[in-house]
Amino acid sequence: MIGLESLRGLQGALLGAGGIVLPHIDYTAILPELILLGGMLLLLVVAALSPRRLATEFYATATVGIGIASLVASLVLWKDVVSHGPFTAVAKSLDIDGFAVLFLVLVSCVLIVAPMLAVGYLRREGIEGCEYYVLALISGSGAMFMASANDLVLVFLALEVLSLPLYVLAGFDRRRAASSEAAIKYFVLGAFSSAIFVYGIALTYGATGSTNLGQIAAFLARNVLTSNGVLLGGVALLLCGFAFKIAAVPFHMWSPDVYQGAPTPATGFMAALAKAGGFAALLRVFVTSFPTLRSSWQPVIWVVAILTLVLGASFAVVQRDIKRMLAYSSINHAGFILLGLQAATAQGVAASLYYLFIYAFLVLGSFAVVTLVAGRGDDQHDLSRYRGLARRQPVLAGSFTVLLIAQAGAPFTTGFFSKLYVLQAAVAAHSYALAAVAMGSAAIATFFYLRVVFLMYSGSAPVEAGVSPELVEPGAASLAAPALAMAAPSGQALASGLVAAGGAGVEPAWAKRSGGGSGASGEGDGAEPPGEATTGVPETPLSSSPWTVAGLGICVGATVLFGIWPEPIIEFARLATTIF
Amino acid sequence: MGSLDSYLPIFVLFVLALAFAGLSVLASRLLAPRRPTAAKEAPYECGIVPTYEPAQRFPVRFYVVAMIYVIFDIEIVFLFPWAVVYGQLGRFGLVEIVVFAASVFFSLLYLLSTGSLDWGPVKRVRPLAGRLERTTASTVRRHGATGTGDEGSGRAA
Amino acid sequence: MTLNVSAYGPIVSTGLDSGQRAFPYLTALVLVPAGAALLVLLLPRARVAVVRAVGFAACTGVLGIAAAVLDEFRSGYGGYQMMSEHPWVGAFGFSWTLGVDGISLFLVLMTAVLFPVALASGMQRRDPKSFTFWVLLLESACLGSFLSVDLLLFFLFFEATLVPVYMLVAGWGHERRGYAAAKFFVYTFAASAFMLVGILALVFIHQSQTGVTTFDIRQLANTRLSGPANVLLFCAFTAALAVKAPVFPFHTWSPDAYSEAPAAGSVLLAGVMAKLGTYGIIRFDLGLFPHAVVELAPVLLTLGVIGIIYGGIVAAVQKDLKRLVAFSSLAHIGFIVVGLFALTGESLSGAVIQMVNHGLYTAALFILIAMIYERLGTFQLPKLRGLQHSAPVMAGVFTLVMLASIGVPGLNGFVGEFLILSGAFLTHRWWAVVATGGVVVAAVYLLWAYQQAFHGRPLPAAVSGGSDGPIGTGSADPGPPTGGAKAAPFREMTWREGLVLAPLVVLIVLLGVYPRPVLERITPTVNQLVLHAESAAHARIPALGRPGLTSYLHVAGAARTQGAER
Repeated sequence: MIGLESLRGLQGALLGAGGIVLPHIDYTAILPELILLGGMLLLLVVAALSPRRLATEFYATATVGIGIASLVASLVLWKDVVSHGPFTAVAKSLDIDGFAVLFLVLVSCVLIVAPMLAVGYLRREGIEGCEYYVLALISGSGAMFMASANDLVLVFLALEVLSLPLYVLAGFDRRRAASSEAAIKYFVLGAFSSAIFVYGIALTYGATGSTNLGQIAAFLARNVLTSNGVLLGGVALLLCGFAFKIAAVPFHMWSPDVYQGAPTPATGFMAALAKAGGFAALLRVFVTSFPTLRSSWQPVIWVVAILTLVLGASFAVVQRDIKRMLAYSSINHAGFILLGLQAATAQGVAASLYYLFIYAFLVLGSFAVVTLVAGRGDDQHDLSRYRGLARRQPVLAGSFTVLLIAQAGAPFTTGFFSKLYVLQAAVAAHSYALAAVAMGSAAIATFFYLRVVFLMYSGSAPVEAGVSPELVEPGAASLAAPALAMAAPSGQALASGLVAAGGAGVEPAWAKRSGGGSGASGEGDGAEPPGEATTGVPETPLSSSPWTVAGLGICVGATVLFGIWPEPIIEFARLATTIF
Repeated sequence: MGSLDSYLPIFVLFVLALAFAGLSVLASRLLAPRRPTAAKEAPYECGIVPTYEPAQRFPVRFYVVAMIYVIFDIEIVFLFPWAVVYGQLGRFGLVEIVVFAASVFFSLLYLLSTGSLDWGPVKRVRPLAGRLERTTASTVRRHGATGTGDEGSGRAA
Repeated sequence: MTLNVSAYGPIVSTGLDSGQRAFPYLTALVLVPAGAALLVLLLPRARVAVVRAVGFAACTGVLGIAAAVLDEFRSGYGGYQMMSEHPWVGAFGFSWTLGVDGISLFLVLMTAVLFPVALASGMQRRDPKSFTFWVLLLESACLGSFLSVDLLLFFLFFEATLVPVYMLVAGWGHERRGYAAAKFFVYTFAASAFMLVGILALVFIHQSQTGVTTFDIRQLANTRLSGPANVLLFCAFTAALAVKAPVFPFHTWSPDAYSEAPAAGSVLLAGVMAKLGTYGIIRFDLGLFPHAVVELAPVLLTLGVIGIIYGGIVAAVQKDLKRLVAFSSLAHIGFIVVGLFALTGESLSGAVIQMVNHGLYTAALFILIAMIYERLGTFQLPKLRGLQHSAPVMAGVFTLVMLASIGVPGLNGFVGEFLILSGAFLTHRWWAVVATGGVVVAAVYLLWAYQQAFHGRPLPAAVSGGSDGPIGTGSADPGPPTGGAKAAPFREMTWREGLVLAPLVVLIVLLGVYPRPVLERITPTVNQLVLHAESAAHARIPALGRPGLTSYLHVAGAARTQGAER
């Protein structure tokens, strides 16, 4: 029993004179997380002990209930924080402030909406059971801990708790090879980035003598460390780890593949949650712990943000797969959120928070629509599938339009104010060039969002000779176009590059369509076969599941409501940052 | 504080390790006579010429069991230090370890309910892979004792 | 709704409260078409008649409200009137602030006139529901842009115009519509990126000076800007506005978009959307960055003059009638730009009235061309001949509109161009001289085109020749089958078509003969703007030491001309 011996030795060392000092555990401070984890265990036990299989709707209801409970707990915590100010809990490893509570609320909301959007999918694909919901709850608790973590070690633990279920969710539909591939890719790269992250923690600890964010900040405020290699290396590695999670550009390679392969509702969940969690920790660590090193990391973020904005938008233009397109668009969104971090001001953080908050709804809703359109089998994601969607499913197409133009930043949707807010922060921090590049990338992004909208509404338009606008779809040959656009992001080069991207794909697409010989004969007056696009897999009608209707309704409703009346969430984000 | 000096021993050790590994390989390359034969090049060189390639696929059950084992192993690893300092931890420690053990126990329940620990023909609790008619028995039947059977045909469309 | 009539200066008016609190006209102007658009969206697609009725009712309603605004408008007063102010997002200092003054009044009226016309001209096309929806949405956005007193609100509406126009061009346009729509969209959107950054920078500077976060242009006009900041912000704003207008080197999207758009799209693009750019220049560039305007006026004037000459020459060599009008439009925008940057009260008034006039006659031209296209399926001038034989009325209307476009006295085009040129001549003589040449060029290309298309003997057979349905945009067009029209003579204008054109023709003549009431309402605002520019530019260039901007410009212009002579 060597282990026991050494443990006794350790015990002696630990105890010294006084014995173990037990931290006071403030259970109310971690109540939302406890609710999620407890609910998760409960679900697991019910699933294990119930004599017959329970319907997926039961688990969804339970998950939504758990989400609502944690939302209530978070709001109670919010009230507490507003009236008594922020506080640290559990041996200062948790920081319960407005910033953290905002994320608690956000994660709770995601956990309320996401199960609603998954029900129909799980039933359709025949992979019902409690697992999806259990994994979602665990992941959610990880994201919550990530937002409130005040210690790098806890950040890492939370990161893993957030990520591991997401890896499984990515491979949840294990009959589809693409899903498994996505899971493996995500896992291998994710594990690698976690390793880098831990190494960053180690170096930071080595340089500052603490893993506690507050103590690191205090240390750095007391001691002037100029060009300290260990510290800077640590910060750089931490940034790499975070950049992977949020899919910022040099570390974005995984996201299109994973987004494409993962089950579509899981993709939406992943996009909403992983981004929220990753940005929560990134913002907290960099803005609270390393403000003194700002001059070192701000330029790096500047470059990363520009790359993320431009490459995300440019590569999205040439995608034919809607999920890949949305993946690149989410990279572009990450760039926008980085603007707030780059500003490194309270306003910037508030802007990022606001952006993250509304983005969660946009992305959940968008992928919910994609789930329905893909139909049974979940692998029909070609853009051509969206042709004429408005005729077949007007409500679905309308919802998707709202979500897409909101992502593009259209006025009277949440997207506009979120972009405006981060840009305002960037301008206030004198990052004019960055703001201009961001708007330029938004221009490109709008182009590809609108293309989908146009496809949906182009319907069974009589196809004429020549170029139909919906054929502005890139061919393989046009991959050079974004490079051109990148090289010379002036208006004219941009336009010609994009137009070239559009033009190059025209010929084969048109040839293919006329070869098909259908649809050119004028209006069919609604007699269109529903699945005219590529294969015989029909779309799932929106009405197939009231859950999906409800979930999508929440997403679209929030997008429009808070687009016209953004005051509450902006106030929330602003207040969250002042209490920060 | 914060300078790289304190890392010097680690660095030296790292270099030494690299040097040792490199030298070993290099020395054997230089000193040993090199007369390869087919038998020597075989992956499992034990004097017997292999008659067939080792089976590529393992029943996934083994991995599941191995993972479950690791999880419970970790539980034990946690229980040891808890037992050692039980006196100091008091009621708090008891509650915490019960919560922990309960969580692990619940997951065991779940595993049992999904049949992860059943051997023999699998009884499906839910049609997770309803269209995949594959059990341990069917796998053995299809692949035969040698494991060289036709792989793909068992998979339903 | 509160009434706030303070504009740029410290002018505070009294006694404007009576009778105007009753009805929020301006908010109604914006919300009526938007609400009607939503209503159309809810209507079943098959109920075409209902959709049309709602569309026309909304457009007519807007016209009625606009007429009421004209009636309520107090002439002789320069500031904003009929203000409608509601805070929207307090954290941003963003508010729903609408107001109308002499500059925007007639642009609003023109918009209200052109939209029903455009809707009527495009109604027979396929999918009237979507068409009506987008047109109504566009009307709301355009009116919102003209009426916004809040900079962010303006930008919001300014951007909101893009989506409907993209949809109209891409959905109902001609052969290369996809290309044209994408080019238009990306160009204008990318350019307006600079404007948003400029807006945010301006607001930030204003906030750091006063501590107030606001987008209200009346307050932002008092921001103290350093020289370089002034110029940079001016450039950021002008980038977006010049692309939208379009001013000469930024125009490359416009011939494509104008010629590929459906008739209604062209009418709205050239008639209304282009004015958003020029309106933005007069409202924001002159209102917010007068210093930079004074400094950079020669550059912009030169661009305007190049636009006039270049547009005219390129128009003259066009074989495509629609592209010809598109390039002539570029030339006319050049006139407006010259008027704006000549910085005299006369030229500015001329520019404003020219905006309205250009909207009217270009719209009429595009509609006439669309009528020809509907009959013959081509825009190619060589394929058109002798149309006036079988369609004398149409030829007559075309002549009238064309003469207005050339700027013949007695028609509306003359008023604006004359004021612009005479105003510009005071301060920038040589620019005015060269610009006058543009009038001659305009006469050349338009008369040529007219001669080719309407004079001569009619072609014996249908021009399009081929049996491929020549009307590209719609096999669903209820128009006569074009294959059968081969031997038939060119059809005369129908009553319905005449009705569509009638309001435009009436206004063209009316404004040409009696522009006084219009000028009466424009002038006070313009004078106030000149005063503001004067004082603002003055405060920043104390070295000038001259009593007024105009006099400074007189001297500077004179000095420059002397230099040129030497």
